[in-house]
Amino acid sequence: MSLLKPFSKLPGLNTANILLVESEEQFQQSLADALVEETAVTVNVRLAKSLPLPMENEESRPRIDLVVFIINLTSELSFQSAEASLKYLDPGYFLGKVCFMVTNARKASAPTERLDAVRKLAASLHCPLLFAEDQTPDGVANATERLLTILKVSAGLVPMATALYLSNLTRCTVPPDIDQPSFD
Amino acid sequence: MERQHNSVVRTPLNSVVVQRRSKSKSYRQSYRSCLGAASRLGLTPALTARRLNTSRRAPKSHNITDKVDPEQLTLLLKTEWKLSYVTPLYQFRHTQLKSYSRQLSAFIAAEKQQGLAVDAEGSQSSFRVSFSVVQGMTETADDAETVLIQIHSKPMFAKQDDPQKLVWSGWLACINGNPDYLSSLSKDFICLPLFGSSGPEVLTTLVKSWFQQMFDCCFGPLEISHTSLQWLVALWTNCHTESNIQHLRMIWTLPVTPPLQITYTVDAQDAWELWSSVRKDPEEESEGGEEVEEGGSIDLKEVMRFMQGLKNHFYRHFRLDLSAGSLQQVSTALGSAKYSGRIKVSSDGKNCSQSFSQDTFLLTHTRKDKCCTNIFFLSF
Repeated sequence: MSLLKPFSKLPGLNTANILLVESEEQFQQSLADALVEETAVTVNVRLAKSLPLPMENEESRPRIDLVVFIINLTSELSFQSAEASLKYLDPGYFLGKVCFMVTNARKASAPTERLDAVRKLAASLHCPLLFAEDQTPDGVANATERLLTILKVSAGLVPMATALYLSNLTRCTVPPDIDQPSFD
Repeated sequence: MERQHNSVVRTPLNSVVVQRRSKSKSYRQSYRSCLGAASRLGLTPALTARRLNTSRRAPKSHNITDKVDPEQLTLLLKTEWKLSYVTPLYQFRHTQLKSYSRQLSAFIAAEKQQGLAVDAEGSQSSFRVSFSVVQGMTETADDAETVLIQIHSKPMFAKQDDPQKLVWSGWLACINGNPDYLSSLSKDFICLPLFGSSGPEVLTTLVKSWFQQMFDCCFGPLEISHTSLQWLVALWTNCHTESNIQHLRMIWTLPVTPPLQITYTVDAQDAWELWSSVRKDPEEESEGGEEVEEGGSIDLKEVMRFMQGLKNHFYRHFRLDLSAGSLQQVSTALGSAKYSGRIKVSSDGKNCSQSFSQDTFLLTHTRKDKCCTNIFFLSF
Protein backbone atom coordinates (compact mmCIF):
# COMPACT_ATOMS: atom_id res chain seq x y z
CA MET A 1 0.00 0.00 0.00
CA SER A 2 1.45 3.35 -0.91
CA LEU A 3 1.19 5.32 2.28
CA LEU A 4 1.98 8.99 2.33
CA LYS A 5 4.70 9.40 4.91
CA PRO A 6 5.32 12.63 6.78
CA PHE A 7 9.02 12.44 7.58
CA SER A 8 10.60 10.46 4.80
CA LYS A 9 11.94 13.52 2.97
CA LEU A 10 13.91 16.59 3.89
CA PRO A 11 12.11 19.89 4.40
CA GLY A 12 12.76 22.91 2.22
CA LEU A 13 14.07 26.21 3.50
CA ASN A 14 11.24 28.55 4.44
CA THR A 15 8.75 26.52 2.43
CA ALA A 16 5.54 24.86 3.41
CA ASN A 17 3.71 22.24 1.35
CA ILE A 18 0.02 21.65 1.69
CA LEU A 19 -2.12 18.99 0.08
CA LEU A 20 -5.80 19.71 -0.49
CA VAL A 21 -7.94 16.62 -0.99
CA GLU A 22 -11.44 17.21 -2.28
CA SER A 23 -13.73 14.90 -4.14
CA GLU A 24 -15.52 17.67 -6.09
CA GLU A 25 -12.31 19.54 -7.01
CA GLN A 26 -13.91 22.96 -6.79
CA PHE A 27 -13.11 24.74 -3.57
CA GLN A 28 -9.54 23.53 -3.65
CA GLN A 29 -8.92 25.59 -6.75
CA SER A 30 -9.95 28.91 -5.22
CA LEU A 31 -8.22 28.05 -1.96
CA ALA A 32 -5.02 27.25 -3.81
CA ASP A 33 -5.08 30.59 -5.63
CA ALA A 34 -5.46 32.39 -2.33
CA LEU A 35 -2.85 30.31 -0.51
CA VAL A 36 -0.05 31.03 -2.95
CA GLU A 37 -0.52 34.76 -2.39
CA GLU A 38 1.25 34.41 0.93
CA THR A 39 4.54 36.29 0.86
CA ALA A 40 6.30 35.51 4.13
CA VAL A 41 6.63 31.83 3.34
CA THR A 42 6.85 29.95 0.07
CA VAL A 43 3.65 27.91 -0.02
CA ASN A 44 3.39 25.01 -2.43
CA VAL A 45 -0.13 23.74 -2.92
CA ARG A 46 -0.79 20.24 -4.21
CA LEU A 47 -4.30 19.24 -5.23
CA ALA A 48 -5.81 15.79 -5.24
CA LYS A 49 -9.22 14.29 -5.72
CA SER A 50 -8.53 11.41 -3.36
CA LEU A 51 -5.72 9.33 -1.97
CA PRO A 52 -3.61 7.37 -2.79
CA LEU A 53 -1.53 9.77 -4.82
CA PRO A 54 -0.14 8.52 -8.11
CA MET A 55 3.11 6.61 -7.92
CA GLU A 56 4.71 8.43 -10.84
CA ASN A 57 5.23 11.61 -8.86
CA GLU A 58 6.64 9.83 -5.83
CA GLU A 59 10.23 11.11 -6.22
CA SER A 60 9.47 14.63 -7.36
CA ARG A 61 6.86 15.26 -4.69
CA PRO A 62 8.14 17.34 -1.78
CA ARG A 63 7.45 16.55 1.84
CA ILE A 64 3.78 17.29 2.57
CA ASP A 65 3.39 19.28 5.77
CA LEU A 66 -0.39 19.45 6.03
CA VAL A 67 -3.13 17.35 4.46
CA VAL A 68 -6.52 19.03 4.33
CA PHE A 69 -9.66 16.99 3.59
CA ILE A 70 -12.41 19.19 2.19
CA ILE A 71 -15.86 17.70 2.72
CA ASN A 72 -19.00 19.10 1.16
CA LEU A 73 -21.81 18.39 3.59
CA THR A 74 -24.52 18.34 0.96
CA SER A 75 -23.02 15.32 -0.74
CA GLU A 76 -22.68 11.93 0.85
CA LEU A 77 -20.17 10.97 -1.80
CA SER A 78 -17.80 13.66 -0.61
CA PHE A 79 -17.79 12.27 2.91
CA GLN A 80 -17.37 8.69 1.77
CA SER A 81 -14.48 9.60 -0.49
CA ALA A 82 -12.68 11.49 2.29
CA GLU A 83 -13.15 8.62 4.69
CA ALA A 84 -11.83 6.14 2.17
CA SER A 85 -8.75 8.27 1.55
CA LEU A 86 -7.82 8.29 5.23
CA LYS A 87 -6.36 4.84 5.18
CA TYR A 88 -3.67 5.88 2.71
CA LEU A 89 -2.07 8.22 5.19
CA ASP A 90 0.76 7.11 7.43
CA PRO A 91 -0.31 7.28 11.10
CA GLY A 92 2.41 9.87 11.68
CA TYR A 93 0.24 12.39 9.89
CA PHE A 94 -2.41 12.26 12.55
CA LEU A 95 -0.12 13.96 15.04
CA GLY A 96 -1.26 17.37 13.91
CA LYS A 97 -0.63 17.26 10.18
CA VAL A 98 -4.18 16.49 9.10
CA CYS A 99 -7.06 18.91 9.11
CA PHE A 100 -10.72 18.62 8.07
CA MET A 101 -12.48 21.45 6.33
CA VAL A 102 -16.24 21.37 5.89
CA THR A 103 -18.26 23.48 3.45
CA ASN A 104 -21.99 24.14 3.14
CA ALA A 105 -22.66 23.43 6.78
CA ARG A 106 -25.38 26.08 6.82
CA LYS A 107 -27.33 24.64 3.92
CA ALA A 108 -30.68 23.27 4.93
CA SER A 109 -30.26 20.38 2.54
CA ALA A 110 -27.29 19.03 4.47
CA PRO A 111 -28.60 16.46 6.92
CA THR A 112 -27.51 16.97 10.49
CA GLU A 113 -26.39 13.38 10.79
CA ARG A 114 -23.62 13.97 8.31
CA LEU A 115 -22.14 16.84 10.31
CA ASP A 116 -22.29 14.69 13.42
CA ALA A 117 -20.48 11.97 11.54
CA VAL A 118 -17.73 14.33 10.39
CA ARG A 119 -17.34 15.63 13.92
CA LYS A 120 -17.02 12.16 15.31
CA LEU A 121 -14.49 11.29 12.67
CA ALA A 122 -12.39 14.37 13.36
CA ALA A 123 -12.63 13.86 17.11
CA SER A 124 -11.57 10.24 16.91
CA LEU A 125 -8.52 11.21 14.85
CA HIS A 126 -7.68 14.21 17.06
CA CYS A 127 -7.76 16.59 14.15
CA PRO A 128 -9.09 20.13 13.94
CA LEU A 129 -12.35 20.71 12.12
CA LEU A 130 -12.76 23.98 10.25
CA PHE A 131 -15.92 25.35 8.70
CA ALA A 132 -15.55 27.32 5.51
CA GLU A 133 -17.72 29.29 3.18
CA ASP A 134 -16.64 28.66 -0.34
CA GLN A 135 -18.89 30.86 -2.45
CA THR A 136 -17.66 34.36 -1.62
CA PRO A 137 -14.11 35.77 -1.79
CA ASP A 138 -14.43 36.79 1.85
CA GLY A 139 -15.11 33.22 2.84
CA VAL A 140 -12.18 31.95 0.84
CA ALA A 141 -9.91 34.55 2.42
CA ASN A 142 -11.04 33.55 5.90
CA ALA A 143 -10.42 29.89 5.23
CA THR A 144 -7.02 30.66 3.75
CA GLU A 145 -5.95 32.61 6.80
CA ARG A 146 -6.86 29.78 9.15
CA LEU A 147 -5.19 27.18 7.01
CA LEU A 148 -2.02 29.25 6.81
CA THR A 149 -1.84 29.46 10.58
CA ILE A 150 -2.00 25.71 10.93
CA LEU A 151 0.29 25.17 7.96
CA LYS A 152 3.06 27.35 9.32
CA VAL A 153 3.06 25.44 12.56
CA SER A 154 3.03 22.06 10.82
CA ALA A 155 5.93 23.06 8.62
CA GLY A 156 7.93 23.96 11.69
CA LEU A 157 8.20 27.61 10.79
CA VAL A 158 6.80 28.93 14.06
CA PRO A 159 9.27 28.81 16.92
CA MET A 160 8.16 27.14 20.16
CA ALA A 161 5.11 25.54 18.57
CA THR A 162 4.84 22.07 17.07
CA ALA A 163 2.07 20.49 15.08
CA LEU A 164 1.23 18.05 17.87
CA TYR A 165 0.97 20.82 20.42
CA LEU A 166 -1.31 22.90 18.21
CA SER A 167 -3.53 19.96 17.38
CA ASN A 168 -3.99 19.33 21.09
CA LEU A 169 -5.38 22.83 21.43
CA THR A 170 -7.47 22.92 18.29
CA ARG A 171 -8.75 19.40 17.90
CA CYS A 172 -12.40 18.72 17.40
CA THR A 173 -14.39 17.48 20.34
CA VAL A 174 -17.88 16.07 20.51
CA PRO A 175 -20.12 16.72 23.48
CA PRO A 176 -20.40 13.65 25.72
CA ASP A 177 -24.14 13.41 25.28
CA ILE A 178 -24.07 13.27 21.51
CA ASP A 179 -25.34 9.70 21.66
CA GLN A 180 -28.14 10.38 24.06
CA PRO A 181 -31.53 10.92 22.48
CA SER A 182 -33.37 13.90 23.84
CA PHE A 183 -36.52 11.90 24.10
CA ASP A 184 -36.75 8.17 23.90
CA MET B 1 -4.58 37.23 14.63
CA GLU B 2 -3.68 40.79 13.83
CA ARG B 3 -6.78 41.67 11.89
CA GLN B 4 -10.23 41.35 13.32
CA HIS B 5 -12.25 39.65 10.66
CA ASN B 6 -15.96 39.79 10.56
CA SER B 7 -16.49 36.11 10.19
CA VAL B 8 -20.14 36.33 9.27
CA VAL B 9 -20.37 35.89 5.56
CA ARG B 10 -23.58 35.72 3.69
CA THR B 11 -23.87 32.60 1.64
CA PRO B 12 -25.18 33.37 -1.83
CA LEU B 13 -28.39 31.69 -2.80
CA ASN B 14 -27.23 30.08 -5.99
CA SER B 15 -24.25 27.95 -5.43
CA VAL B 16 -21.79 27.13 -8.11
CA VAL B 17 -22.46 23.67 -9.37
CA VAL B 18 -20.27 21.20 -11.09
CA GLN B 19 -20.32 21.13 -14.84
CA ARG B 20 -21.60 17.85 -16.09
CA ARG B 21 -18.71 15.88 -17.50
CA SER B 22 -19.17 13.77 -20.58
CA LYS B 23 -16.44 11.30 -19.73
CA SER B 24 -17.19 9.32 -16.63
CA LYS B 25 -14.52 9.98 -14.09
CA SER B 26 -13.42 7.28 -11.82
CA TYR B 27 -16.12 6.86 -9.24
CA ARG B 28 -14.69 3.44 -8.69
CA GLN B 29 -13.00 4.63 -5.53
CA SER B 30 -16.22 5.53 -3.88
CA TYR B 31 -18.06 2.57 -5.33
CA ARG B 32 -15.65 0.14 -3.73
CA SER B 33 -15.78 1.95 -0.49
CA CYS B 34 -19.56 2.04 -0.57
CA LEU B 35 -19.85 -1.64 0.08
CA GLY B 36 -17.28 -1.85 2.81
CA ALA B 37 -17.72 1.45 4.51
CA ALA B 38 -21.47 1.51 4.51
CA SER B 39 -21.60 0.14 7.99
CA ARG B 40 -18.83 2.38 9.25
CA LEU B 41 -20.36 5.57 7.97
CA GLY B 42 -21.60 8.32 10.13
CA LEU B 43 -25.07 7.00 9.54
CA THR B 44 -24.56 4.52 12.36
CA PRO B 45 -27.26 4.43 15.00
CA ALA B 46 -25.19 6.15 17.66
CA LEU B 47 -25.12 9.40 15.74
CA THR B 48 -28.69 9.58 14.65
CA ALA B 49 -29.93 8.74 18.12
CA ARG B 50 -29.52 12.38 18.93
CA ARG B 51 -32.28 13.29 16.58
CA LEU B 52 -34.10 10.30 15.27
CA ASN B 53 -34.94 6.78 16.24
CA THR B 54 -32.44 4.17 15.29
CA SER B 55 -34.85 1.33 15.05
CA ARG B 56 -38.49 1.27 14.58
CA ARG B 57 -41.17 -1.20 15.36
CA ALA B 58 -42.26 -2.85 12.15
CA PRO B 59 -45.78 -1.71 11.55
CA LYS B 60 -48.72 -3.88 12.23
CA SER B 61 -51.52 -3.17 9.90
CA HIS B 62 -55.05 -3.12 11.01
CA ASN B 63 -58.26 -2.16 9.46
CA ILE B 64 -58.78 1.52 9.95
CA THR B 65 -62.38 1.61 8.88
CA ASP B 66 -63.26 -0.11 12.13
CA LYS B 67 -62.32 3.03 13.96
CA VAL B 68 -62.71 5.91 11.55
CA ASP B 69 -65.77 6.97 9.66
CA PRO B 70 -65.17 6.14 5.97
CA GLU B 71 -66.62 9.42 4.76
CA GLN B 72 -64.20 11.41 6.85
CA LEU B 73 -61.45 9.13 5.73
CA THR B 74 -62.04 9.96 2.08
CA LEU B 75 -61.55 13.61 2.91
CA LEU B 76 -58.06 12.87 4.12
CA LEU B 77 -56.96 10.55 1.38
CA LYS B 78 -55.62 11.41 -2.04
CA THR B 79 -54.90 15.02 -1.24
CA GLU B 80 -51.46 16.41 -1.00
CA TRP B 81 -50.92 17.99 2.38
CA LYS B 82 -48.33 20.58 3.22
CA LEU B 83 -47.00 19.86 6.69
CA SER B 84 -46.08 22.24 9.49
CA TYR B 85 -45.31 21.67 13.10
CA VAL B 86 -47.33 23.35 15.85
CA THR B 87 -46.35 24.09 19.39
CA PRO B 88 -48.87 23.04 22.02
CA LEU B 89 -52.18 24.90 21.98
CA TYR B 90 -53.32 26.77 25.04
CA GLN B 91 -56.90 26.11 26.14
CA PHE B 92 -58.08 24.48 22.99
CA ARG B 93 -61.21 22.60 23.79
CA HIS B 94 -62.66 19.89 21.64
CA THR B 95 -66.10 20.81 23.00
CA GLN B 96 -66.08 24.35 21.67
CA LEU B 97 -65.58 23.56 18.03
CA LYS B 98 -68.76 25.29 16.93
CA SER B 99 -67.76 28.57 18.46
CA TYR B 100 -64.31 28.21 16.95
CA SER B 101 -65.93 27.77 13.53
CA ARG B 102 -67.89 30.97 13.93
CA GLN B 103 -64.91 32.91 15.17
CA LEU B 104 -62.66 31.73 12.38
CA SER B 105 -65.19 32.57 9.67
CA ALA B 106 -65.65 36.03 11.16
CA PHE B 107 -61.88 36.46 11.27
CA ILE B 108 -61.46 35.44 7.65
CA ALA B 109 -64.27 37.72 6.53
CA ALA B 110 -62.74 40.61 8.44
CA GLU B 111 -59.30 40.00 6.99
CA LYS B 112 -60.67 39.75 3.49
CA GLN B 113 -62.51 43.01 3.83
CA GLN B 114 -59.47 44.90 4.97
CA GLY B 115 -58.30 45.32 1.43
CA LEU B 116 -61.64 46.08 -0.13
CA ALA B 117 -63.24 49.49 -0.24
CA VAL B 118 -66.89 48.74 0.40
CA ASP B 119 -68.63 45.44 0.37
CA ALA B 120 -72.29 45.94 -0.45
CA GLU B 121 -73.58 42.38 -0.35
CA GLY B 122 -72.24 41.11 2.91
CA SER B 123 -72.79 37.41 2.53
CA GLN B 124 -71.85 37.04 -1.12
CA SER B 125 -68.30 35.92 -0.64
CA SER B 126 -68.52 34.83 2.94
CA PHE B 127 -66.69 31.79 4.10
CA ARG B 128 -68.24 29.00 6.04
CA VAL B 129 -65.82 27.24 8.31
CA SER B 130 -66.46 23.95 9.94
CA PHE B 131 -64.40 22.29 12.62
CA SER B 132 -64.97 18.63 13.14
CA VAL B 133 -63.35 15.84 15.03
CA VAL B 134 -62.13 12.76 13.23
CA GLN B 135 -62.58 10.08 15.81
CA GLY B 136 -60.44 7.03 15.89
CA MET B 137 -57.16 8.19 14.42
CA THR B 138 -55.33 8.18 17.72
CA GLU B 139 -53.14 5.30 18.72
CA THR B 140 -52.47 5.78 22.41
CA ALA B 141 -54.63 7.02 25.23
CA ASP B 142 -52.67 10.24 25.58
CA ASP B 143 -53.22 11.45 22.05
CA ALA B 144 -55.68 14.23 21.44
CA GLU B 145 -58.31 13.61 18.82
CA THR B 146 -57.68 14.81 15.30
CA VAL B 147 -59.42 18.02 14.35
CA LEU B 148 -60.44 18.64 10.77
CA ILE B 149 -61.02 22.16 9.50
CA GLN B 150 -62.84 22.87 6.28
CA ILE B 151 -63.57 26.13 4.58
CA HIS B 152 -66.37 26.37 2.08
CA SER B 153 -67.03 29.33 -0.07
CA LYS B 154 -68.95 30.29 -3.13
CA PRO B 155 -66.80 30.65 -6.20
CA MET B 156 -66.39 34.14 -7.64
CA PHE B 157 -68.96 34.14 -10.38
CA ALA B 158 -71.48 31.73 -8.92
CA LYS B 159 -75.17 32.23 -9.07
CA GLN B 160 -77.18 32.76 -5.93
CA ASP B 161 -78.30 29.18 -5.57
CA ASP B 162 -75.04 27.42 -6.19
CA PRO B 163 -73.86 25.43 -3.20
CA GLN B 164 -70.63 26.37 -1.50
CA LYS B 165 -67.60 24.41 -2.50
CA LEU B 166 -64.73 23.23 -0.39
CA VAL B 167 -61.85 25.61 -1.02
CA TRP B 168 -59.47 24.77 1.78
CA SER B 169 -59.05 22.01 4.27
CA GLY B 170 -56.62 21.29 7.02
CA TRP B 171 -56.16 19.13 10.03
CA LEU B 172 -54.35 19.06 13.34
CA ALA B 173 -53.31 15.72 14.67
CA CYS B 174 -51.28 13.90 17.24
CA ILE B 175 -50.75 10.20 16.71
CA ASN B 176 -48.43 8.07 18.82
CA GLY B 177 -47.23 11.03 20.76
CA ASN B 178 -44.35 10.55 23.13
CA PRO B 179 -45.96 9.85 26.52
CA ASP B 180 -43.11 11.44 28.48
CA TYR B 181 -43.47 14.63 26.56
CA LEU B 182 -47.24 14.70 26.72
CA SER B 183 -47.26 14.18 30.45
CA SER B 184 -44.71 16.92 30.91
CA LEU B 185 -47.06 19.53 29.48
CA SER B 186 -49.18 21.48 31.89
CA LYS B 187 -52.87 20.70 31.98
CA ASP B 188 -54.05 23.69 29.96
CA PHE B 189 -52.08 22.73 26.92
CA ILE B 190 -53.14 20.31 24.25
CA CYS B 191 -50.50 18.90 21.98
CA LEU B 192 -51.55 18.55 18.37
CA PRO B 193 -48.16 18.94 16.82
CA LEU B 194 -48.82 18.16 13.20
CA PHE B 195 -50.72 20.49 10.93
CA GLY B 196 -51.54 19.62 7.34
CA SER B 197 -53.09 22.05 4.91
CA SER B 198 -54.27 21.89 1.35
CA GLY B 199 -55.61 24.85 -0.55
CA PRO B 200 -54.72 28.45 -1.34
CA GLU B 201 -51.78 29.83 0.56
CA VAL B 202 -53.73 32.95 1.55
CA LEU B 203 -56.24 30.93 3.52
CA THR B 204 -53.48 28.86 5.10
CA THR B 205 -51.77 31.94 6.47
CA LEU B 206 -55.09 33.30 7.71
CA VAL B 207 -55.89 30.10 9.56
CA LYS B 208 -52.42 29.98 11.04
CA SER B 209 -52.55 33.58 12.25
CA TRP B 210 -55.96 32.95 13.80
CA PHE B 211 -54.60 29.96 15.67
CA GLN B 212 -51.60 31.96 16.79
CA GLN B 213 -53.81 34.70 18.15
CA MET B 214 -56.32 32.42 19.80
CA PHE B 215 -54.17 29.72 21.28
CA ASP B 216 -50.75 31.32 21.58
CA CYS B 217 -48.98 28.74 19.49
CA CYS B 218 -46.36 28.89 16.78
CA PHE B 219 -46.36 27.32 13.39
CA GLY B 220 -43.24 26.39 11.55
CA PRO B 221 -42.36 24.63 8.34
CA LEU B 222 -41.71 20.94 8.56
CA GLU B 223 -39.36 19.36 6.12
CA ILE B 224 -39.10 15.65 5.77
CA SER B 225 -35.43 15.02 6.24
CA HIS B 226 -33.27 12.91 4.05
CA THR B 227 -33.08 10.15 6.64
CA SER B 228 -36.85 10.14 7.11
CA LEU B 229 -37.37 9.72 3.40
CA GLN B 230 -35.04 6.75 3.49
CA TRP B 231 -37.04 5.30 6.38
CA LEU B 232 -40.18 5.69 4.29
CA VAL B 233 -38.59 3.84 1.39
CA ALA B 234 -37.84 0.90 3.65
CA LEU B 235 -41.09 0.93 5.59
CA TRP B 236 -43.30 1.17 2.54
CA THR B 237 -41.40 -1.66 0.92
CA ASN B 238 -41.91 -3.62 4.10
CA CYS B 239 -45.67 -3.24 3.66
CA HIS B 240 -45.58 -4.88 0.29
CA THR B 241 -46.79 -8.26 1.51
CA GLU B 242 -49.85 -6.80 3.15
CA SER B 243 -50.83 -4.25 0.56
CA ASN B 244 -49.31 -4.15 -2.86
CA ILE B 245 -47.27 -1.02 -3.36
CA GLN B 246 -47.15 -1.55 -7.12
CA HIS B 247 -43.96 0.41 -7.61
CA LEU B 248 -41.33 2.26 -5.64
CA ARG B 249 -40.47 5.56 -7.20
CA MET B 250 -37.72 7.82 -5.96
CA ILE B 251 -36.76 11.21 -7.32
CA TRP B 252 -33.17 12.28 -6.86
CA THR B 253 -31.56 15.55 -7.83
CA LEU B 254 -27.93 15.87 -8.72
CA PRO B 255 -26.10 19.17 -8.34
CA VAL B 256 -24.79 19.62 -11.85
CA THR B 257 -25.50 22.23 -14.51
CA PRO B 258 -27.99 21.91 -16.07
CA PRO B 259 -29.68 20.35 -13.01
CA LEU B 260 -30.29 16.67 -13.35
CA GLN B 261 -33.37 15.08 -11.90
CA ILE B 262 -33.51 11.31 -11.82
CA THR B 263 -36.72 9.36 -11.39
CA TYR B 264 -35.80 5.90 -10.27
CA THR B 265 -38.72 3.47 -10.38
CA VAL B 266 -38.34 -0.03 -9.00
CA ASP B 267 -40.84 -2.77 -9.52
CA ALA B 268 -42.55 -3.69 -6.28
CA GLN B 269 -41.60 -7.35 -6.33
CA ASP B 270 -37.92 -6.61 -6.97
CA ALA B 271 -37.86 -4.07 -4.17
CA TRP B 272 -39.45 -6.57 -1.85
CA GLU B 273 -36.90 -9.24 -2.72
CA LEU B 274 -34.02 -6.85 -2.11
CA TRP B 275 -35.55 -5.76 1.19
CA SER B 276 -36.13 -9.26 2.44
CA SER B 277 -32.60 -10.28 1.50
CA VAL B 278 -31.26 -7.32 3.45
CA ARG B 279 -33.29 -8.36 6.45
CA LYS B 280 -32.40 -11.99 6.24
CA ASP B 281 -28.61 -11.70 5.92
CA PRO B 282 -27.66 -10.87 9.49
CA GLU B 283 -29.97 -13.58 10.78
CA GLU B 284 -28.22 -16.16 8.66
CA GLU B 285 -24.86 -14.99 9.87
CA SER B 286 -25.81 -15.27 13.50
CA GLU B 287 -26.15 -18.64 15.20
CA GLY B 288 -28.57 -20.85 13.37
CA GLY B 289 -31.63 -21.87 15.26
CA GLU B 290 -32.67 -18.41 16.39
CA GLU B 291 -36.25 -17.79 15.64
CA VAL B 292 -37.16 -14.99 13.35
CA GLU B 293 -39.33 -12.51 15.14
CA GLU B 294 -42.60 -11.87 13.51
CA GLY B 295 -43.03 -8.16 13.00
CA GLY B 296 -39.72 -7.43 14.69
CA SER B 297 -38.05 -4.09 14.74
CA ILE B 298 -36.32 -2.57 11.76
CA ASP B 299 -32.90 -1.15 12.37
CA LEU B 300 -31.43 1.91 10.72
CA LYS B 301 -28.56 -0.22 9.44
CA GLU B 302 -30.95 -2.35 7.44
CA VAL B 303 -32.49 0.74 5.92
CA MET B 304 -29.06 2.01 4.94
CA ARG B 305 -28.08 -1.32 3.45
CA PHE B 306 -31.29 -1.34 1.43
CA MET B 307 -30.62 2.16 0.12
CA GLN B 308 -27.04 1.23 -0.67
CA GLY B 309 -28.25 -1.76 -2.64
CA LEU B 310 -30.56 0.45 -4.69
CA LYS B 311 -27.76 2.93 -5.33
CA ASN B 312 -25.31 0.21 -6.33
CA HIS B 313 -27.78 -1.19 -8.80
CA PHE B 314 -28.24 2.23 -10.33
CA TYR B 315 -24.50 2.73 -10.49
CA ARG B 316 -23.95 -0.57 -12.21
CA HIS B 317 -26.29 0.43 -15.03
CA PHE B 318 -25.76 4.13 -15.39
CA ARG B 319 -22.36 4.84 -13.79
CA LEU B 320 -23.91 7.60 -11.71
CA ASP B 321 -23.41 7.50 -7.99
CA LEU B 322 -26.59 8.70 -6.35
CA SER B 323 -24.70 9.47 -3.13
CA ALA B 324 -23.60 12.68 -4.80
CA GLY B 325 -27.19 13.79 -5.06
CA SER B 326 -30.07 14.09 -2.66
CA LEU B 327 -33.35 12.27 -2.37
CA GLN B 328 -36.28 14.59 -2.95
CA GLN B 329 -39.36 12.46 -3.18
CA VAL B 330 -40.52 8.94 -2.44
CA SER B 331 -43.78 7.58 -3.73
CA THR B 332 -45.52 4.24 -3.87
CA ALA B 333 -49.11 3.22 -4.34
CA LEU B 334 -49.54 3.80 -0.61
CA GLY B 335 -48.63 7.46 -0.73
CA SER B 336 -45.91 9.92 -1.46
CA ALA B 337 -43.64 12.15 0.57
CA LYS B 338 -41.56 15.07 -0.62
CA TYR B 339 -38.55 16.70 0.93
CA SER B 340 -40.36 20.03 1.01
CA GLY B 341 -42.80 18.64 3.55
CA ARG B 342 -45.69 17.51 1.43
CA ILE B 343 -47.29 14.13 1.90
CA LYS B 344 -50.08 12.35 0.15
CA VAL B 345 -51.81 9.30 1.39
CA SER B 346 -53.46 7.15 -1.24
CA SER B 347 -55.75 4.29 -0.75
CA ASP B 348 -54.88 0.88 -2.00
CA GLY B 349 -56.07 1.01 -5.55
CA LYS B 350 -57.48 -2.45 -5.79
CA ASN B 351 -59.36 -2.72 -2.54
CA CYS B 352 -62.38 -0.69 -1.82
CA SER B 353 -62.93 1.37 1.24
CA GLN B 354 -63.52 -1.57 3.55
CA SER B 355 -59.97 -2.78 3.65
CA PHE B 356 -57.54 -0.02 4.41
CA SER B 357 -54.61 -0.73 6.60
CA GLN B 358 -53.03 1.86 8.75
CA ASP B 359 -49.50 2.17 10.00
CA THR B 360 -48.37 5.03 12.11
CA PHE B 361 -44.93 5.87 13.29
CA LEU B 362 -43.34 8.36 15.56
CA LEU B 363 -40.41 10.58 14.94
CA THR B 364 -38.96 12.73 17.62
CA HIS B 365 -37.47 15.82 16.19
CA THR B 366 -35.39 18.33 18.02
CA ARG B 367 -35.49 21.84 16.81
CA LYS B 368 -32.56 24.18 17.04
CA ASP B 369 -33.90 26.19 19.93
CA LYS B 370 -34.20 22.99 21.93
CA CYS B 371 -37.97 22.83 22.03
CA CYS B 372 -39.19 19.39 21.14
CA THR B 373 -41.99 18.54 18.82
CA ASN B 374 -43.34 15.16 18.04
CA ILE B 375 -44.17 14.38 14.52
CA PHE B 376 -45.88 11.38 13.16
CA PHE B 377 -45.89 9.74 9.83
CA LEU B 378 -49.08 8.33 8.63
CA SER B 379 -49.17 5.86 5.84
CA PHE B 380 -51.91 3.67 4.63
